[in-house]
Amino acid sequence: MKTPVSVLRLPRGPEPNSRGFDPNSPRYIALCPTTIPASSGNKAGSVTLEEEQRVRSELRERFLRTLLAMTSKPVHFSLYEKVQVQAKFGASDIDILNFQVSDLQTPLGVQKEALLRCQDMISFSFQL
Amino acid sequence: MAMRQTPLTCSGHTRPVVDLAFSGITPYGYFLISACKDGKPMLRQGDTGDWIGTFLGHKGAVWGATLNKEATKAATAAADFSAKVWDAVTGDEVLTLAHKHIVKSVNFTQDSNCLLTGGNDKLLRIYDLSKPEAEPQEISGHTSAVKKALWCNNDQQILSAADDRTIRLWDRNTGEAVKTLSFEASVSSMEYIPDGEILVITYGRTIAFYKAHTLDPIKTVDAPASIHSASLHPDKDFFVAGGDDFKLYKYDYTTKEEMESYKGHFGPVHCVRFSPDGELYASGSEDGTLRLWQTAVGKTYGLWKCVLPEELSSENSDALYCPPAEIKA
Repeated sequence: MKTPVSVLRLPRGPEPNSRGFDPNSPRYIALCPTTIPASSGNKAGSVTLEEEQRVRSELRERFLRTLLAMTSKPVHFSLYEKVQVQAKFGASDIDILNFQVSDLQTPLGVQKEALLRCQDMISFSFQL
Repeated sequence: MAMRQTPLTCSGHTRPVVDLAFSGITPYGYFLISACKDGKPMLRQGDTGDWIGTFLGHKGAVWGATLNKEATKAATAAADFSAKVWDAVTGDEVLTLAHKHIVKSVNFTQDSNCLLTGGNDKLLRIYDLSKPEAEPQEISGHTSAVKKALWCNNDQQILSAADDRTIRLWDRNTGEAVKTLSFEASVSSMEYIPDGEILVITYGRTIAFYKAHTLDPIKTVDAPASIHSASLHPDKDFFVAGGDDFKLYKYDYTTKEEMESYKGHFGPVHCVRFSPDGELYASGSEDGTLRLWQTAVGKTYGLWKCVLPEELSSENSDALYCPPAEIKA
């Protein structure tokens, strides 16, 4: 009777709500080039870097506030292939990959609940 | 005392796993990418099978996947008529290369500057990744869908296998076929071993070994069942193969004798590859899982722990998981 080889644990599976690539992993921190152009290449000075960081934070905050303001409002989406749809915006997932919407008006009828893929969107607009 | 192999099951895919590839050995270990019909290729830590991330973007089954040596870039080939290049650290999509039909195979050059693709449009294409908008160099000749295309001979030549039952060796610069091998059956897989210049091919129940430069035959081995994929150990002492009967076979390369066979998968094995250090091999199956198998059964490596019989019953064995039969992640 052969004894089976022991294992410390089983391999970790995918996380249900994330696409992974943990930005806190040693490899990510070491290899990920900075996304701020001002800080890569030439030493343009900390002033430019600070300014760019400030603007980026501002833009990010504005985008997140836009998503908050959109909640439960009717939003018009322009998708690829000249498709235009309207729906009531519910929420976005953490990676801004999918939007949860209700009462999606489509040429085939109204979809009570739906997920719209953000990669399919060109733009969206709503009344404040 | 001989031990029984405990395969490690990596779950997560929801459809058959059709291709897998390892990176080289990097300062952060080595990595594994799996191509799946669910359209969501995954990156895993090579020695443990731990999931790192999923490349999201393809709109169809992913037929081929590869990593560059440093595991900084990934490339995938899909049924949505595109090949994509990804940043393998962040998981971001970097490039989409539109094709005219299903893309089946992708392969980076050693310097990761060029990508070779092949698919159902019967063409081989070479993309310069520093000029992705430029038209790719196209190599034609195959009379049906290309299944696999690989760089060889220091990226100066290309090996391709197609459904026209041929394997062709091409000169990268002239785009001309240097040599053609014809087979009675469709070639199911191809692996190129740069160190030693060996080509491993499978067709029907046969695993065949050829010299990559000349396409001269070295040896052939017949298995008990139809084989879909085989891989030669870096030290060239064993090779492993898997196919229709769901089992993994391990053979002695020198004597051609079957050494072991392992059950575990619940469907045909589509792909099998040795890790770059040869310590384990990974298999992908119709059952939607990847399994990692030890080359030296019982050795402490990755998640496997060598345990002496006395230790199993002691208090210190709390951290150890001793599987009674089959384990599923």
